Amino acid sequence: MKRTLAALFLLLAVLTAVWANGRPPAPIPLTPTLTGETEYCLTCHNDLPDISAAHPTAVFGCVRCHGGERLALDADLAHSSMRGGANPSDLAVVEPSCGGSDCHSGAVSADRDHIQRVQTSIQATYAGAIAAVRYAFGVQPDPAAQLGAFAVQDTETNTGVPYLDPFNPAQETHPSILKFSQNCLNCHLSADPLPGGEYDRFTGCAACHTPTQNRAPDQLTHTLTTAIPYTQCNTCHNRGNYSLRDMAFHPRTDEANGRLQDYYQPIGQFTQCEWTLDCIDCHTRSEAMGDGDIHSSQADIQYVQCRTCHGTINEPPLTKTITDPNDIALRLAALNPVIDLQVGDTILVTEQGEPMWNIRQLDDGSLQLTGKVTELTLPFSRVMDTACEQNPDEQESHFCHECHAVEH
Amino acid sequence: MNVTPSSINPTPLSRRTFLELAGKGLLAVSGLLGLGGLSRFFSFQTETAVPQTFALGPAENYPPGSRTFISQAQAYILHTDEGITAVSAICPHLGCSVNLADNSFDCPCHGSRFALDGEKLQGPANRSLRDLSVEISADNQLTLLT
Repeated sequence: MKRTLAALFLLLAVLTAVWANGRPPAPIPLTPTLTGETEYCLTCHNDLPDISAAHPTAVFGCVRCHGGERLALDADLAHSSMRGGANPSDLAVVEPSCGGSDCHSGAVSADRDHIQRVQTSIQATYAGAIAAVRYAFGVQPDPAAQLGAFAVQDTETNTGVPYLDPFNPAQETHPSILKFSQNCLNCHLSADPLPGGEYDRFTGCAACHTPTQNRAPDQLTHTLTTAIPYTQCNTCHNRGNYSLRDMAFHPRTDEANGRLQDYYQPIGQFTQCEWTLDCIDCHTRSEAMGDGDIHSSQADIQYVQCRTCHGTINEPPLTKTITDPNDIALRLAALNPVIDLQVGDTILVTEQGEPMWNIRQLDDGSLQLTGKVTELTLPFSRVMDTACEQNPDEQESHFCHECHAVEH
Repeated sequence: MNVTPSSINPTPLSRRTFLELAGKGLLAVSGLLGLGGLSRFFSFQTETAVPQTFALGPAENYPPGSRTFISQAQAYILHTDEGITAVSAICPHLGCSVNLADNSFDCPCHGSRFALDGEKLQGPANRSLRDLSVEISADNQLTLLT
């Protein structure tokens, strides 16, 4: 009797094991062409779209970027070694996630050093704000950057700032600096955003390259794009003001009604082109992602002006005719194909030689911008041979706004 | 023929015998299920084997001038003046699948372009598409070797 009962219990145990083993969905293997190593992530994540045309799942798989246990079928085990949680582009883990010589930490000469540039960029280090505030309250003798949101170094500095030590509030004693550390460190690329949909963004590369507009709270987003809408920039910019008086952030209180009001907070004047376009239609990659050097101020890195596209009364804007099929402009256009850029096309370039690949000079000499996000085709004029009398040496936007501003 | 009553009406199983038989039966079923599970466990292939030979069917399916994409092989079969050739559709940059345009193969991922013979025209790929072998059998059947 006892033996029979024992056998019965054993069978029940085996049947339970068989039943439990049959419960998970059938494993879905994927062998990405890039890695050649089979992974089973699609067993649960088969509904995720490709994150971008440049990163097809069939080519990259999941593990190359996200990490994780590629052969695990148990969720906890599979996710146990993922990098950055759901965001492998967080700057703390970006090198193993997005790096590699064929990916985003390749040679400077091939323009593949994105990670190094971003990590030394003013948007990542926040060194400008930290230095300015510490200098303003007499904590450091000059406004040259000493501290950053994290430690970073530049072994080939062109700015005289070879490294930044991490900003550590525990080592600060001035009350205003302490308040600054509590209230004003929400916008660098490693910082978690303030609560609220208007501030909603990821950290790291995804802060800009993963649009989060109208995202439901905690909704996962599997998108990367180089067509970054102004709304993504606005998760940090134009959201309000930091006050030196009380060292606090004061959110804007106006209600946006249309793109102009939505774009800029009501503190200034702007030309129509500024709010019709998206930020990335004019501002360049080195302005946003850094040029590889550590800078002490946003002003040191932001250099595009009205003249970059419109020229001055004496000079047309700089142009370049594409002759090399490997020109970076063609690659950038291929990544965001809003125009069919070809060898032989003439585009604008900045004074630092960065291609304005979405702005072409047509055969008749006219200029035409294509919105990188809106895809709008917008012809525009040079300043030369117009009634404009603006001094070529006074090209900051406020000079141009004196005649061309739209107020709101 | 004499038939004894006992051969017609076998002796009923005793309770002890029934329980012993039932126990053995349950053990046997458990053992078989366990063996099945073990067999499944040890025969599971974690890595997916990638085939390297593809039967393409009769050569007349690839007429002169044709450019045929073989999706399972990630390759294009080209019938040109030089005969039937094959070129890999996998971009040597990062492994995306190139698309056939009017006069080139274009990579949709990062913009590399290749001539119809696979030669690199434009980076970021730093080499050309890989040439593949096509064999024609005596009965005019094509086989692609990747």
